[in-house]
Amino acid sequence: MDQWNDELKSLFASYKAAVPDPEASANFMPELWRKIESRGSVVLRFKKLTQVFLAAAAAISIVFVTMLSVPAFTRSEVSGSYIEVLADAYPTEGLASHGILPRDGAEANTK
Amino acid sequence: MLVDFELIQKAKAGDGTAFNQVVVAYRKRILGTIARLIGRPEDVEDVAQEVFLRLYYSLDQLRTPEVFEPWLYRLTVNASYDYLRKQRRRNESRMSDLSEQQVMMADAAAGGKASGEERRQKQVKELVESLLGAVSEQDRILLTLKEVEGLSLKELEKIYSVNENALKVRLFRARQRVLNAFEATRASAAKSVHRKD
Repeated sequence: MDQWNDELKSLFASYKAAVPDPEASANFMPELWRKIESRGSVVLRFKKLTQVFLAAAAAISIVFVTMLSVPAFTRSEVSGSYIEVLADAYPTEGLASHGILPRDGAEANTK
Repeated sequence: MLVDFELIQKAKAGDGTAFNQVVVAYRKRILGTIARLIGRPEDVEDVAQEVFLRLYYSLDQLRTPEVFEPWLYRLTVNASYDYLRKQRRRNESRMSDLSEQQVMMADAAAGGKASGEERRQKQVKELVESLLGAVSEQDRILLTLKEVEGLSLKELEKIYSVNENALKVRLFRARQRVLNAFEATRASAAKSVHRKD
């Protein structure tokens, strides 16, 4: 096994010599900058799209928040006790139809 | 470091001339590493351009110029890995697919008659690339960086951001696989020579 190990080691060393560092072609830098610029325009377009999407999402959120908060403003606030609210909802005149007499009338009848 | 920290800082700040200088300084080394990592001379420049392209767009994430070199190597490893993965999808080339001719080449490279330095180098190149086909793309890259490029475990630790022990285990396993493939190649080469005799 050691023999194979050594042979493999020397094979790897020969590989580095067999594949030396290549020289870049004259077109390397211009091509690199062309790629950078073309990727840059894609990135820029993506950024713009993201901005538009974010602006639209923010606008939609504002609309929703407004829609949800408007009924809360128009809702009448409870002013007074439970009895007072109940008395407002069921005026005394309407109670007779349910067989309920106003307190004053009831007292008069007992007298 | 092939360039000073100041130049990297300038490139980071968006100075195109400084970036050009950084590329020119590291270009040859990166081209060489990629050539040995991917084993296809026709695609080396494309992969190297991809490395520098990624460098250009991620330079602002570099916190300290001291880690520039391991970071550039990491970009090289990633771009080479992406390339190899795409290539593997295109055409599978494994040890089991070695042709008779390659086996003969393996034998010649490992000590048979050599006819000219150029031919011998070609044989070595083909043999090593066949052997590296026995391991995954990640292990191929790791093994090449260690055994061919001669990077230390400390350097690999910085590139891969994993601890030394994990790297040692991975390297040992990858080396064993390549060693087994090497033994198998030598054995079949010996058999084929024996048959001819």
